[in-house]
Amino acid sequence: MNAHPEAGPASRREEVRLPELPSVSRLLVHAATTAARERLSGTSRPAALPAVRHTVDSVRVELERLTRFQHLVGGTVRDSLPSAFLHTVTFPVAMSVLTRADFPLPLPGLVQLANHVRQYRAVHFAEPLTLSAWVENLRGHYAGTRLDVRTEVLADGEAVWQGTSEYLAKGVFRPGLDTGARPAREDFTPPAPTARWRLGVDAGREYAMVSGDFNPIHLSTVSARLLGMKRSIAHGMYLASRVLAGIEAVAGDEHEWNIRFAAPVYLPAALALRIEDESRNEHWVASSFTAWGEHSRRLHFSGSVRTL
Amino acid sequence: MTATPESPTPKSAPQPAPAAETRPVRSAVVIGGNRIPFARAHGAYAGASNQDMLTAALDGLVARFGLQDERIGEVAAGAVLKHSRDFNLTREAVLGSALSPETPVYDLQQACATGLETVIGLANKIKLGQIDSAIAGGVDSTSDAPIAVSEGLRSVLLELGRARSPKQKLAALARLRPKDLAPEAPSTAEPRTGLSMGEHQALTTAAWKITREAQDELALASHANLAAAYGRGFFDDLITPYRGLVKDGNLRPDTSLEKLAKLQPVFGKTLGEEATMTAGNSTPLTDGASAVLLGSEDFARRNDLPMLARVVDAEAAAVDFVHGKEGLLMAPAYAVPRLLERNGLRLSDFDFVEIHEAFAGTVLCHLAAWESEEFCRNKLGLDSPLGSVDRARLNVTGSSLAAGHPFAATGGRIVATVAKLLHEQAAAEGRRGRGLVSVCAAGGQGVAAILEAC
Repeated sequence: MNAHPEAGPASRREEVRLPELPSVSRLLVHAATTAARERLSGTSRPAALPAVRHTVDSVRVELERLTRFQHLVGGTVRDSLPSAFLHTVTFPVAMSVLTRADFPLPLPGLVQLANHVRQYRAVHFAEPLTLSAWVENLRGHYAGTRLDVRTEVLADGEAVWQGTSEYLAKGVFRPGLDTGARPAREDFTPPAPTARWRLGVDAGREYAMVSGDFNPIHLSTVSARLLGMKRSIAHGMYLASRVLAGIEAVAGDEHEWNIRFAAPVYLPAALALRIEDESRNEHWVASSFTAWGEHSRRLHFSGSVRTL
Repeated sequence: MTATPESPTPKSAPQPAPAAETRPVRSAVVIGGNRIPFARAHGAYAGASNQDMLTAALDGLVARFGLQDERIGEVAAGAVLKHSRDFNLTREAVLGSALSPETPVYDLQQACATGLETVIGLANKIKLGQIDSAIAGGVDSTSDAPIAVSEGLRSVLLELGRARSPKQKLAALARLRPKDLAPEAPSTAEPRTGLSMGEHQALTTAAWKITREAQDELALASHANLAAAYGRGFFDDLITPYRGLVKDGNLRPDTSLEKLAKLQPVFGKTLGEEATMTAGNSTPLTDGASAVLLGSEDFARRNDLPMLARVVDAEAAAVDFVHGKEGLLMAPAYAVPRLLERNGLRLSDFDFVEIHEAFAGTVLCHLAAWESEEFCRNKLGLDSPLGSVDRARLNVTGSSLAAGHPFAATGGRIVATVAKLLHEQAAAEGRRGRGLVSVCAAGGQGVAAILEAC
């Protein structure tokens, strides 16, 4: 269990130990003022990703926030941490990397394209956790520039959870990165649904309260409009957490999951979903999921959960 | 106090009663039933509570069978939509009824199968000799449904209760938001899917390719059969009028296929396929209560009471509907074959088949499944289809589409009806017929039972 193939050549990275979990809202404000200052002064950002790995030790989960998270996403209040919750736990560390002065892309406008998570064992809420984050794989995209944000959770010196979030800096093009052609949009015909979600206009605010992700595009129509969105949008991780909560009963604690976001979910929203289980010898091995607009019939996200 | 082989027994002591393990299993019989007419929601019973209606059904039963001040072995009933103050709903109803206050009682809840399950549980106690008589029942009101405060307000109120200092109390109150003040009415949506029962059935109806016409025909038959049964006085000794209602408020004796065909679909409108489920071929929300008197044969003879039918056997099933592996209301399609297998019976061995009409589509999907070689082989593990149900034996005095469906009261309505039908047939033809009862329930559950004429 010590060497996971995806752990990456961390040795080439400079280890940065943070004394405590940083405050996400402070990081967001800092990022916004840096971006504004850069626009005024005309300074440009470096071309490469910073070769650093930020780590915080001995992090303990706040039990009340865990309970609120579990209830909000429709999960069961258990003593083990949902793998989507562990993503929110690592989020401030990831943000501390993305808001560094030498991070090459402006934080406002970063769009989440996909997530991939592996969880190797159940994590009890009382376990002290070591959280790490780094960025890698800067590459082109037809609409801008992409990168992977990697996060890792260690307990007792052992990696128990690893996440990769693929982000897109829309409209930011870097010389030398192959953008590729825009792929033809795939036709999507909704299958028979197995569930329906009604997301209220406050779904973004409620998830911000339990996840700590107070990005203004999620909080209200007004704050989203200030950032150029027509309305506020649901957090991608809220959608992932909620779909995972509906599968956790069969999936257990050792599993990997991925989600790919096709279109933002503007709030309020009525989504239709299909979750389909796959079993082998009468045992669950995987569930795949797809979500689309109940009325627009437009694909919003899809993914799967699989036993390790 | 059980005697062990070691304990010396004085020769002069009376012989102890046989131990429970060696007591023979005896019959449990349906003696009769009583219900109040089922009323459409927010109609005749709008001001009556679950407890009021259940008491009315019990008092009607007491009057019919002369049970005033009788201590019944046990009464079991329940409601699906239940206020938390009604934790002892059935006990309170019994205390308010003409039954002896020394009658023990328990509440039961199995969604729409509540009423049938109370019959099964109490019949089993009678069969084991634990009790000699019983009343099974159920009640539901959508007009007087409990309304809950929102999760936000509830959490603030609970926090307020835990707060000790004024500062803590203020902090709790500060969490209150205007939207928290909106009340929450109970919904028929499945908690794990967010789909209402009708939407779930619409998916199953579409998967089985059940046509709009077939559903409307079943609805029409339900109304025609119920109207005919009223016409011949079938319900005279099964119903006690209440609040001015003498017949089920939902019954439309003059409905027709043309009228039913005019109704707009209400479920499955976003399926992409043609929506087929209307207010006419779906059961309306209703208020009502029912009760069934059960006893041992000895109890019935001793009290000079009729014996209509024996409760032979029962089976419950549940399906995995959450990720769409099976339709929400299809569990009885699994319970019935298991029940038939255990009793060595075929569908054609039944003179009366009662399949609760949650929706016309539900009944038709069950019938289609039992006729499907693929379903019976892959889902039931059978070599050949289970078989067809002769429509002339199906829901012959109408079912929930016409009568309405006050969730927990439906089981009692059906059991009393089948028992009386079997008794009538036995009296007319001199043979012991069989009846099959099947009820689907929320949460992907279903219960089936076999009755046999006495």
